[in-house]
Amino acid sequence: MKTTRVRPTGRERTFSDGELIVTKTDPRGAITYANDVFLRISALDEDDALGQPHNLIRHPDMPRAVFKLLWDTLKDRREIFAYVVNLAADGAHYWVFAHVTPSFDDSGRVVGYHSNRRVPSRDAIAAADDLYRVLRAAESRHPRAQDAVAAGHATLQQVLAERGRTYDELVWDLSAGGTR
Amino acid sequence: MKAKPETVDTAALDQAVRLVTDVCERALSGDLEARVPVIGGSERAARIRTAINGLLDHVDAFVREAGAASAAASEGRFHRRFLTQGLDGAYRAAAEQITHSNQVMSRTAAQFAEAARQRQALADELESAVLTVSEQVATAATEMGRSANGLADFARVAVNDAERGLGTVSSLRTSSDEIRHAVDLINQVAAQTRLLALNATIEAARAGSAGRGFGVVANEVKNLANETSSSSEQIMNQVNTVQQSAADAIAVLEAVTNRIREMSELVEGIALAVDGGQHTENAGLSQLAEVLRAEVSRFVTTIRDS
Repeated sequence: MKTTRVRPTGRERTFSDGELIVTKTDPRGAITYANDVFLRISALDEDDALGQPHNLIRHPDMPRAVFKLLWDTLKDRREIFAYVVNLAADGAHYWVFAHVTPSFDDSGRVVGYHSNRRVPSRDAIAAADDLYRVLRAAESRHPRAQDAVAAGHATLQQVLAERGRTYDELVWDLSAGGTR
Repeated sequence: MKAKPETVDTAALDQAVRLVTDVCERALSGDLEARVPVIGGSERAARIRTAINGLLDHVDAFVREAGAASAAASEGRFHRRFLTQGLDGAYRAAAEQITHSNQVMSRTAAQFAEAARQRQALADELESAVLTVSEQVATAATEMGRSANGLADFARVAVNDAERGLGTVSSLRTSSDEIRHAVDLINQVAAQTRLLALNATIEAARAGSAGRGFGVVANEVKNLANETSSSSEQIMNQVNTVQQSAADAIAVLEAVTNRIREMSELVEGIALAVDGGQHTENAGLSQLAEVLRAEVSRFVTTIRDS
């Protein structure tokens, strides 16, 4: 898979405040639509993106627990916001403020997922980076993926408990100082 | 320099128009999942595809934000704002209007929450105050009931004592009557003795010097009878005085007894008001305090739950 081949170069790419990165996936997470901004920032051709699993752009710096939370929330038919660092096909990385929602048909069945991504503020990126470093450290102590996710999740809950905020509230706290 | 015109591939153009029309019709019917797939090879076809998909992406983003932000506001999750970033023009204006509305809702919700909090605090204070008052009233009622019962006992004892006094004084009157009878008898005896002494004096005078000594005795007997009458009269006066005093004492004792009986009724009235009648509809002070406490408790519960 491509994610295992691309090595992060450490070069950061950004996009403009007025731009939206948009992708749609089927219920299993395979990309069914990617807009021009996504393809440009991810350095992908449309043919390389369509039909691929969304973890095509997964960056090794992303804690497993965040994706676990993302998928659990979506399975619960709820929207989720998350700061995510993605890996472009050329090894560059880019931070996004992702808003992922389930798409429903007329009968209320989930027919896929939709992700709108906006450019986050530098402050929000710095805060998310710090948090993810803590979660990664907790996860890296466990060789088994399942244990790593559990450890990351527990650490996240601990951080939230210390701050007296829910995950949602924390994410919105970070976005409050962000660009609009 | 003039650009070379593109060669027109009619079949590809027809297919492109069909695909775009199809997506637009699906979007028109509210299906925002549809996007134009890769069409034709021409630059113009690619541009129209990007433009239409971009339009749909923005409409899609607006619809998702509007739905989710409104839902969040209606659930009180006001931290979830409408994300205006990436939206321009009319989209952004409408988004800002929704954000403003949500902020107003947020403030209103906060005011409601504050009003509810104040209501709770008021309910707590009311409950605490009424509880204290009802406890104090209950304590006072118990104390008053005890005092009233003590007073009633006291009045009963006083009435008994007065009645005993009445009996004593009445027997005094009876004794006086007996004394009067005895004195009457003595008076009659004295009158007859005086008559006998008179006859003895007359007989002694007729006897002449022989009866002189007897005459002296008869005179002494008459004097004794007179003294007896005089003493009897004094005794009668004393007895009359005693009888008058006894009658006065009886009147006073009866008046006192009546007063105590009236007082006793008043005390019973107080006891009834405090304890409540066993066979009447009247609730006592303690019960009233309990009713007040229960009513306020019900009221406070209603306020807390509202």
